[in-house]
Amino acid sequence: MTHIRVLALGLVALIALVGCSGIRAPVVQEDAPAAASADDPTSVNVIRIGAAVSETGKYSREGRDTRQGYGTWLEWVNNEYGGIDVAGKRYQVELVMYDDEGDPDTVARLVEQLISEDRVDFLLGPYSSSLTQSASAISEKYDKIMVEGNGASESLFERGFRNLFAVLTPAGNYTQSALKMLAEQGAQSVVIAYEDTAFPTSVAEGAQRWAKAYGLEVLGVETYPRDVADVSGIMAKFKEVEPDIFVGGGHFNDAILFIRAAKELDFNPKAMVITVGPSNPKLVQEVGADAEYVIGPTQWEASMGYEDEYFGTAAEYAARYEAQWGEPPTYQAAESTATALALQLAIEAAGALDTASVRDALREMDVVTFYGPINFDETGKNASKPMGATQVQDGEILVVAPGHAAVSDLRYPAPAWKDR
Amino acid sequence: MDQILQALANGLLLGGFYAVMVLGFSVIWGVMGIINLAHGEYLMIGAYLGWGLFRYFGMDPFAALLLILPLMFLFGYVLQYVLINRIVERPHLMSLLITFGISIALANLFKILFTSDPRNVSVTYNGSVELLGITFPIVKSIIFGAALLCMLGLHLFLQRSRMGKSIRAAAQNRTAARIVGVDINRTYAVTAGICIAITAAAGAMLSPTQAIFPFMGPPLTLKAYTITALGGLGRIPGALMGGVVLGVTETMVSRFVPGIGTNLGVAISFVILVLILILRPQGLLGGLRPVDPEAE
Repeated sequence: MTHIRVLALGLVALIALVGCSGIRAPVVQEDAPAAASADDPTSVNVIRIGAAVSETGKYSREGRDTRQGYGTWLEWVNNEYGGIDVAGKRYQVELVMYDDEGDPDTVARLVEQLISEDRVDFLLGPYSSSLTQSASAISEKYDKIMVEGNGASESLFERGFRNLFAVLTPAGNYTQSALKMLAEQGAQSVVIAYEDTAFPTSVAEGAQRWAKAYGLEVLGVETYPRDVADVSGIMAKFKEVEPDIFVGGGHFNDAILFIRAAKELDFNPKAMVITVGPSNPKLVQEVGADAEYVIGPTQWEASMGYEDEYFGTAAEYAARYEAQWGEPPTYQAAESTATALALQLAIEAAGALDTASVRDALREMDVVTFYGPINFDETGKNASKPMGATQVQDGEILVVAPGHAAVSDLRYPAPAWKDR
Repeated sequence: MDQILQALANGLLLGGFYAVMVLGFSVIWGVMGIINLAHGEYLMIGAYLGWGLFRYFGMDPFAALLLILPLMFLFGYVLQYVLINRIVERPHLMSLLITFGISIALANLFKILFTSDPRNVSVTYNGSVELLGITFPIVKSIIFGAALLCMLGLHLFLQRSRMGKSIRAAAQNRTAARIVGVDINRTYAVTAGICIAITAAAGAMLSPTQAIFPFMGPPLTLKAYTITALGGLGRIPGALMGGVVLGVTETMVSRFVPGIGTNLGVAISFVILVLILILRPQGLLGGLRPVDPEAE
């Protein structure tokens, strides 16, 4: 019986390993600068803001963009802007961040810790809808405001929460401008594959809705699990129905898998629309020429024509970000900065730090930032911002829709793999 | 019919990779009675080596195997000699803890070194060939061939060479092997070296097919566990059979179940694992023998 015991023991250990790959929750605390030290009595006012954002795990890439987006704002508000202005008094900001490891249970535990042990005043969101779902349930329980910019799933806002606000365009609208544009170019059918978690599900449901609205026939819908390592089964199935458009809704890693599998199986849709990935320069770096023609929705691009009095134009924001972090901002980074900026503006408008006043200020907010218009509806979604679409053309990520932000024309249809 | 053949071909190719991926895990467990929870991380290291040599020296990931194998053999040899040999004869919990620790340390080390950006190896010959109406992805077919070569090599080594015989002797009865003069510490170190080298080679082969990132290991370890339970401990034909069974099942399910096929394909491996543990805990081929009782 020894070996059965060994098997059982090993299995338990494995489950622990997979469940909590990386058993640690390091404090990545970015302290307020020296200005807040005790020997200067005029500036000891500090607002503590907390966030649990992936540093490890599946969302480590996007999590880093989110952290850097928050960091850009933190640096600016403390050192350049001079602190948040609450009824004439300047407050320095202290940002407490933990690594949620991409795990919904961990993120809930960490948010609880931020509220009850670190005593933060406000919360910023984690990366991804699934993590926001579990994080916001805790902040709502403690009646704390959470402003987020990386959880786009509509289901987040169908729970009647009063303290959750999102600056980004909701997931259901991600594929709208891309599908509209493709339908205008003569595409007639579409297949959809999505990861079965909150955000991709919303994107895919939206894609089916918009496909119907623009007269596209849906030839197949497939789901796949988180941490998928191979999507060739899905792509083989899709190859047989010969669709015009492939829509893949997932996260960054999945984008690479989709492109790989399509090429390997010689699956040639006329357009590939992939939710997260194509708008990130890393995809082009890693996949190279295979990323050509791939279309991606984008919350924001540096070439868009928005501006505000804080970070300047979208392009100026991008330059500032690149100077600080040594790489151009992805939209995940920009929306994270905008998230923190929205919270700051609400605190300043409220002139107070209590949840009720700041919540009212958020509800009434109607501003245009470098990231786009921010105007929350009654559920907390930002209903006023349109979504853009980019396409990889000659190694560059260019905005092709909507019309007013476009810098290049759509290339359609994409040639077959062997003709590229 | 074509569709079934296509799915079967995809499943076989996947199974070939699974088989070579699991070899190191299965042999280390069979010979030393150690469940190596850092197995996925050795694959990850191999994948990063493949990526690094490709990116900075323009070396093809399959040609890079000639460099990766000796390098990782050395790594495995030293790791075993310095660390694992100390706990081989201790209770199982010790080896689980130490390999779990190695796994976390390696994943985070690689995160610090390379950040968590997913990396990719884009080989120019990535594409497909058609044969008898079936599409064969080129890279995966090469992996299949290389996997068979690795398995054949290991099989011959274990069966024919003197060192291979020592390894098998140590696996069968540590005490008796010691009595007849086998240097157990050295034998174990060589075993670990070979196993980790093959595992890293499998990782390098994997590099052109999927994204490489520091936390890719644990799901692969879990898969290795399932295949080992299917095929039996330390048996090369068993690893091949377990890998192919799992690969074909996964592709068949994901190909023919509409909507949720891919989900189900992944879940099915764990259903298989549970069934085996209940019905045939000694493995399908009967090779899951008890480890040395002294180790308990």
